[in-house]
Amino acid sequence: MTKIKLCGLSRPEDIECANSLKPDFIGFVFYKNSKRFVDREKAKILKNMLDKDIKAVGVFVDEDIDFVASLLRDEIIDIAQLHGNEDENYIKDLKTLSGKPVIKAVRVTSEEDIKTANDSPADFVLLDSGMGGGKVFDWNLLKEVKRDYFLAGGLTLENAAEAADTLKPFAVDVSSGIETDGYKDPEKMKQFMAAVKERGNTMNNNENPARFGIHGGQYIPETLMNAVIELEKAYNHYKNDPEFNRELTELLNEYAGRPSRLYYAEKMTKDLGGAKIYLKREDLNHTGAHKINNVLGQALLAKKMGKTRLIAETGAGQHGVATATAAALMGMECVVFMGEEDTKRQALNVYRMRLLGAEVIPVTTGTATLKDAVSEAMREWTKRIDDTHYCLGSVMGPHPFPTIVRDFQAVISKEIKEQMLEKEGRLPDAVLACVGGGSNAIGTFYNFINDKEVRLIGCEAAGRGVDTYETAATIATGKLGIFHGMKSYFCQDEYGQIAPVYSISAGLDYPGIGPEHAYLHDIGRAEYVPVTDEEAVQAFEYLAKTEGIIPAIESAHAISYAMKIAPTMSKDQIIVITVSGRGDKDCAAIARYRGEDINE
Amino acid sequence: MSNIYKAFENKKAFIPFITCGDPDLETTGKIVREAVKNGASLVELGIPFSDPTAEGPVIQGANLRALNGGVTTDKIFDFVKELRKDITVPMVFMTYANVVFSYGSERFIKTCSEIGIDGIILPDLPFEEKEEFLPECHKYGVDLISLIAPTSKDRVAMIAKEAEGFIYLVSSLGVTGTRTEINTDLDSIVKIIRENTNVPCAIGFGISTPEQAKKMAAVSDGAIVGSAIIKIMEKYGKESPAYVGEYVKSMVDAI
Repeated sequence: MTKIKLCGLSRPEDIECANSLKPDFIGFVFYKNSKRFVDREKAKILKNMLDKDIKAVGVFVDEDIDFVASLLRDEIIDIAQLHGNEDENYIKDLKTLSGKPVIKAVRVTSEEDIKTANDSPADFVLLDSGMGGGKVFDWNLLKEVKRDYFLAGGLTLENAAEAADTLKPFAVDVSSGIETDGYKDPEKMKQFMAAVKERGNTMNNNENPARFGIHGGQYIPETLMNAVIELEKAYNHYKNDPEFNRELTELLNEYAGRPSRLYYAEKMTKDLGGAKIYLKREDLNHTGAHKINNVLGQALLAKKMGKTRLIAETGAGQHGVATATAAALMGMECVVFMGEEDTKRQALNVYRMRLLGAEVIPVTTGTATLKDAVSEAMREWTKRIDDTHYCLGSVMGPHPFPTIVRDFQAVISKEIKEQMLEKEGRLPDAVLACVGGGSNAIGTFYNFINDKEVRLIGCEAAGRGVDTYETAATIATGKLGIFHGMKSYFCQDEYGQIAPVYSISAGLDYPGIGPEHAYLHDIGRAEYVPVTDEEAVQAFEYLAKTEGIIPAIESAHAISYAMKIAPTMSKDQIIVITVSGRGDKDCAAIARYRGEDINE
Repeated sequence: MSNIYKAFENKKAFIPFITCGDPDLETTGKIVREAVKNGASLVELGIPFSDPTAEGPVIQGANLRALNGGVTTDKIFDFVKELRKDITVPMVFMTYANVVFSYGSERFIKTCSEIGIDGIILPDLPFEEKEEFLPECHKYGVDLISLIAPTSKDRVAMIAKEAEGFIYLVSSLGVTGTRTEINTDLDSIVKIIRENTNVPCAIGFGISTPEQAKKMAAVSDGAIVGSAIIKIMEKYGKESPAYVGEYVKSMVDAI
């Protein structure tokens, strides 16, 4: 996606406008002859007003290096952009002095200038027709540029969108093109951003951002970096490949049994006496949960990449069973890591995986639950990469996993939307799903994110309560951290040691949450609510008795919260609950919870 | 720039890794002093983490024992401050990104600089994410050590060019732990590193015997040994300092 820099901001109202539009960069001009000139004091005030997600670039022409470095060090600017005759030594010295990125502007009039740009030691180059004169140069020259660059010089609404579309520069830089009578024009700024984003997005949808707001990233050992880069490249290629998509759709429909039903739970609706309740029946998929959607996608992708072995972590065992199933179908070797504690809680699924030909390795480290299974699967991947794909089961881990898993699970909300429009002729008022790492929840939310009138509600496992240590409700009790390849919210102590979380549900018994959920929480787009073991068990029993559907104990967390809010809503409102899986696997554990010992 | 270069001046460096607080900080102090007395030229101090995803079972065990013993980041800072009164060789911390991040990156790195820690090794922080801590590291003169792996391939030059302190070259695939054989073509990786930087390069992961250490140090600037030392600590507990000293001597003599 092409980034955007709005340059030459000099007034508080310009910053306010930028804060609402959120460009990637804004520019302060420290060149005294410019009509957009700002001095150190003024820049400091403006920077303090600026949204911290927007980077401030200082623009200089042959300025004293110590002055530039001091602005960087004092964080009045984040990046320096040099427009004069600053040489290689100046650039290197400035980088050393400040430790901050440098952009070197190059005036492009000939091929020689492109060579200069390619060879510059600066972190980025900005290619311009001149000193901000607003004149467009010959873009054909840009074909030879071998690095990321900012495109500047005479950009307007029309030609910037075209540039984002055809040239795909790292960023476009605009100043006079968003002004009226020499001042920044909020309307033009807004239109410019919209035009570039729209064109840049549609044509450039091969690129996935590594982050969701501040969350996400790739915090993994160097040993795995080329593997995730290779995975991202392959995914970007195949996701737009018609043959890949045809094969995947056929697998989802013919093998997994999609589309899954959107069932009107009439008895439950009447009993609760409020909103109309629909259940998205992911429990009816082959293998009994939503996990198969993601696994079929990843297994097919792995096969196309020439991998012959799948490894996976599993909590409740549903993802492990789905992975073992796909491996059996596609003739691949399969190894599943499962916390020893969970192999006891979910003995039936262990047997299923072995029956399907997978090797199940009980993990005894740490709390012997899902987080330890993820750690062990990551360790295994660093041992054997060439022939092995790590089929991660949730919207977590390092980029690109949160994006890949989300895309494969987005079929849930795509279907809900179509089915809801067909049945009711309108969108639901709320969609609910349980959240551990968050794959069925993101699948349920994704196609509704832009439909602001639809409430998105994620139900976390509160275990014995959010005021106890025996909880796994990450949004309610966690704080920002870095673990399992991602920056997100995690349950942890004051020294960053990951907390031994607890939930009756093995699938939600995880101390973190996927980075896109953390972002949706930050921006207030989705709500996350805690549901205790006891509430979930009651909902498990309720749905069985009321609708004749035994949900997974994970899904029962979402059922429980729906039971709370449905009676408070009016009868013409509609809620959809994703039943992420079936509950057969949980029967023995729930019986034990109720004090009854049954033999499976 | 930190003092790390001094560990490599006119000699091959032997770098022991020691998990702080296993079994207690008093013993850790004795082990560090024994190791330095016997020729260790740089000491890598582990701050334990609950879920060390780059470690094999041996160092996982040390992390667990240390945390169960009640060690914390603050206690380790106090311990290093005390250690610095007589230990002059460069020392670096080895821990995980969340330990630094949750403490407050700036607060953590500033403290490192105040107590005489020269660098930080974070195995879950690849090149792409180093901006997370690099500004603070530069501000306080603490080197952020880069790791290069057998799978780095086209990334070796890129990482080497921006490396600081020393480069930690991972000898083999997988996690930490002793290995009977190291088969990676390390010569060609070191060659690319040398073409791109003057920063020294030490090899770690899987080294336990004097023969292995000699071989690894011959192709690079030094050898890093963790699991083999932790095994001694695990076996002898509070009695381990003398045994570690003896072991370090055998390794230093070999390289």
